[in-house]
Amino acid sequence: MLVARAREKQLSQVVSELGLDKQNKGTIGRLLNHGGIGQAEEGADGRMKIQVRIPEDELTYSPSITVMPHAGELEIEFFNDDTNTHCAQVPSNGDYQWIWLPNGSRGKVTVTLDGPGYYWYGSNVGNDEGRGLMGTIVVMGDVPEEARLDRPAQPRP
Amino acid sequence: MTQEYIDAPPPVALGNLSATTGDAPPVTKDLTYERILDARSEPHNWITYYGAYDGKRFSPLDQINTENVKRLTPAFVFQSGSSGLHAGPSTYSFEAAPLVVDGVMFVSGWDGFVWCLDATNGQTLWQYKHAIPFDVSLCCGNVNRGVAVAEGKVFLATLNAHVVALDAENGEKIWDTTHGDVRAGESATVAPLVVKDMVIVGSSGGEFGVRGHLDAYNIETGERVWRCYMVPKPGEPGSETWPDDGEAWQRGGGNCWVTGTYDPELNLLYWGTGNPAPDFDGEVRPGDNLYTDSVVAVNPDDGTIQWHYQYTPHDLWDYDSNMENILFEQDGRKLLGHFDKNGYFFVLDRTNGELVRVTPFVDRINWGEIDAEGNVTTSVYPEKEGEEVHFYPGPAGGKEWTHACFNPETELFYCPVQDTGSTIARRRREFKEGMPYWGAHVIVDSEDMKGSVTAFSASTSEEVWRWETDLPMCASVLTTAGDLVFAGEPSGYLNALDARTGEHLWRFQCGSGHHSSPTTYSVDGRQYIAVPVGWGAWVEGFLPGMMGGPHGSAIFVFALPEE
Repeated sequence: MLVARAREKQLSQVVSELGLDKQNKGTIGRLLNHGGIGQAEEGADGRMKIQVRIPEDELTYSPSITVMPHAGELEIEFFNDDTNTHCAQVPSNGDYQWIWLPNGSRGKVTVTLDGPGYYWYGSNVGNDEGRGLMGTIVVMGDVPEEARLDRPAQPRP
Repeated sequence: MTQEYIDAPPPVALGNLSATTGDAPPVTKDLTYERILDARSEPHNWITYYGAYDGKRFSPLDQINTENVKRLTPAFVFQSGSSGLHAGPSTYSFEAAPLVVDGVMFVSGWDGFVWCLDATNGQTLWQYKHAIPFDVSLCCGNVNRGVAVAEGKVFLATLNAHVVALDAENGEKIWDTTHGDVRAGESATVAPLVVKDMVIVGSSGGEFGVRGHLDAYNIETGERVWRCYMVPKPGEPGSETWPDDGEAWQRGGGNCWVTGTYDPELNLLYWGTGNPAPDFDGEVRPGDNLYTDSVVAVNPDDGTIQWHYQYTPHDLWDYDSNMENILFEQDGRKLLGHFDKNGYFFVLDRTNGELVRVTPFVDRINWGEIDAEGNVTTSVYPEKEGEEVHFYPGPAGGKEWTHACFNPETELFYCPVQDTGSTIARRRREFKEGMPYWGAHVIVDSEDMKGSVTAFSASTSEEVWRWETDLPMCASVLTTAGDLVFAGEPSGYLNALDARTGEHLWRFQCGSGHHSSPTTYSVDGRQYIAVPVGWGAWVEGFLPGMMGGPHGSAIFVFALPEE
């Protein structure tokens, strides 16, 4: 774990040194998913919540990685601290949830994700996507016991 | 200083920002099992995956026929395209068979999409989008082969191995059951099959060393009724075909990723199973490896295997046998016909699995030979570590999963043929859950390939005619009482052939390659041909020579001009 953390720290440092964590510094945009990582908090009702901000002139969701401890319902409260209008198209069972995020606005989106894996969301309006406004929702955990294969535990990488 | 925020407008479902109406007429409310049993008595509809339980992909509709097919023209085109980052981003495409019930079409796309359309003009009535993880394990692209409908519901198997029932009138979810373990490398791409009060769904994940299974779910509740594993545990029947001191059975493959057929009189499902795992390294799994590469006859009431026939024992070439087992009768005998990836056309007695005939259907076969009694002699296979061998047919097979069809009026089978080879070398690796588990490096030929639609006699299995193509044929074919066979090409052309002679009668360039299952239906007396197109999925496996082909995604629907 210590080695992994050291590698991660080194990666972040190199990304920063190369100017890839800023807009129009090392290259045109900002490297995807370098806006930090945050864990959703689970309420007593099982619903998970997180706040995600769009800092000024960073064109990133912060945190850009949201971690859900397990599948279920997630409420994301977006804050647009930028001086441009953005949006968020977030995957959810049934249909994507889509929200305008005008300059200096806040808005909530609730989505349902039913299993482990990671899911991309983004601001699919002009100027945004390639520059860095892509975020990830990571759902941790396993599928229900009854859906697993009837076999002994297997080695993993 | 505290920042004052304005309220953003409330979020909306993305589909509401479209011309989608949001609701559909209740056409499936009275769509019962009894109606599916008698599907061909309502030829204006295509209410189950193959059109009927027998898998013939034959329609009694004959408005479009050999005389007038040259006047066929698009009635409408449905398109979706791709948005954002999704699983398998380079490989999305249609692989579905559109269902139609009384003028309403139900069709699935890639990445968890289901659309309900007005089947006369393509108007979207509702859409459903299941959220699919980007990192789900997909051997063969971001694809789905279709939905099932019954009792007011639409049933979908999702890439993240869930089975979902939707309200057929508005697309709202009714139930959602986890079907498989994505952490183990499982997924689901199959079109479900409704039988009695159950929906039958098979597993995907053969390239990830999972243990294949076929499951039945109650259509009202989503509760699992039974699960049938296609690789037996030690001590179970068939386990003697696996090493008794090893772990190979635990990762043995035998997945069920293509829809089966069903004989209600015998009360048997005929389900094809996939390759053993690892695909190409047989040394770690000595034995025949049942029930991989087989047709298994399953009792739908309890999920028990009644008999099996293994098309490729101890497979070393990735010769899945998932593709259709077409039910037909001859001289009072209940038979099934199956074109296998291994290049042989099998006819079995479907009451007991006895071999009736076996004959090659593709020109180049050098992996081995199957004699008239079904005995297999292997010739070319990966044996020594790192030593390349070249064999025919390649891992996509003499015919891929895409379907042949059978016309009871011509008494001919029609097969889309792929004549392509491949080079492989065994490359042993340890099994690790969730990681690809091939046991080889693989390069499929990009040159010296060809294809055809070939007609075979139902009574003798002999070739009757052949329509040859420069590229392998990778899409399901469809036949009608208009004496026609429809066949899409990787180049984008949709062709109509004379079912009796193979004469080429008509073609239309759809702009992207075909790798789906066209269907036909009629509304208010007008016959339509629905043709999903879109090039992607496992192209590197079945036709790498067309890796650069246009990646479109559309459903072309054709009809004769209105008078």
